[in-house]
Amino acid sequence: MAGLELLSDQGYRLDGRKATELRKVQARMGVFSQADGSAYIEQGNTKALAVVYGPHEVRGSRSRTLHDRAVINCQYSMATFSTAERKRRPHGDRKSAEMSLHLKQTFEAAVMTQLYPRSQIDIYVKILQSDGGNYSVCVNAATLAVIDAGIPMRDYVCACTVGFVDETPLADLCYAEEGGGGSSLALALLPRGGQIALLQMDAMTACKGVSKVLDEVVRQHLQDVSVLTRE
Amino acid sequence: MSPMKLCVPGDKLCSTEDCIPGTGVYLRHGYIYSSLAGYVLRKNEGEELPVISVVRETETQLLPDVGAIVTCKVTSINPRFAKVHILYVGSTPLKDRFRGTIRKEDVRATEKDKVETYKSFRPGDIVLAKVISLGDVQSNYLLTTAENELGVVVAHSEAGAQMVPISWCEMQCPRTHAKEFRKVARVQPEYLQA
Repeated sequence: MAGLELLSDQGYRLDGRKATELRKVQARMGVFSQADGSAYIEQGNTKALAVVYGPHEVRGSRSRTLHDRAVINCQYSMATFSTAERKRRPHGDRKSAEMSLHLKQTFEAAVMTQLYPRSQIDIYVKILQSDGGNYSVCVNAATLAVIDAGIPMRDYVCACTVGFVDETPLADLCYAEEGGGGSSLALALLPRGGQIALLQMDAMTACKGVSKVLDEVVRQHLQDVSVLTRE
Repeated sequence: MSPMKLCVPGDKLCSTEDCIPGTGVYLRHGYIYSSLAGYVLRKNEGEELPVISVVRETETQLLPDVGAIVTCKVTSINPRFAKVHILYVGSTPLKDRFRGTIRKEDVRATEKDKVETYKSFRPGDIVLAKVISLGDVQSNYLLTTAENELGVVVAHSEAGAQMVPISWCEMQCPRTHAKEFRKVARVQPEYLQA
């Protein structure tokens, strides 16, 4: 695989982790006093800042106002110095727009928006240093910021990525592993309810392994559910 | 008192058979879950079941609701309505300003057709009002002052002095003794604060 050995014979990855080991996580809440809520998170070498404003009156076009719940407005951006090569457009490109949309969908599932009709909640996330798993790090940072802002949520959201190398799943991919040509799957969960807020898979090569894995997971899940319902 | 229990969003606190849900919690499948990160508070209020809520050190953001008494500042007037900024809901200040509208028909309860907005409010006045509607797509919060207790509380005259109410529809400047028209509120003594 491109001359890069993602998993050694001893079962160690490029950065010395085991296959299912996560990177070191460090987080801080309430980093800014101006915003209603903020958080900073580091997952290995990926670093992100999240800021939450609101709920406040809907800004911009009033037609976006919803009568029964709050509008969630997400903006994802990457600092120009976050990648190995200087980024020209920190936000507003196709990739960022897609990421913003995914974040919005994730938090619409988690935040109790029906408590704040006709208002808006802004979530701004910035990647300060990018080393893989940007989406999941952003979700984790934004969750902490929403908690810090005191906005009610059904459950906190947590997210992680997983990739496949020769049938072995690798948890919490770093940049080299993401770009290594394997498939990667990002998953955002509401852990207590066991609900999936967002599931996204990118695969550059054939993903024949995944159908098998997902099939197995679904079968396992169905078994669990049938056991539970019988009780 | 035992140390307060901490919780995070999604924590299962108890069954609905043990407690009544208060603020910062939500119901699902017969259980009460936390929706905020904070301290769990159980309060007995004479009823059989205690009320369970989750509290934080900082006040959570409040929104103006229908029926709420709000304190607002008039920003502009025109013959049909006055535009205001809502500053307080009840006695809690809002972090952000919310815009509201007092239509001509909602200024007072009687002789609605004879109301003239510029004889009721002036920009800069502090007004007590009640929320009657959250508004529709085009408009924002709709407010009314059609009660004796609602209307202008603080107003400044053209000379810049704070005016004294002399009737329900007039205020006088203590410096120039000029009278100006306002929809004056009869402020209830219990709401008066220094």
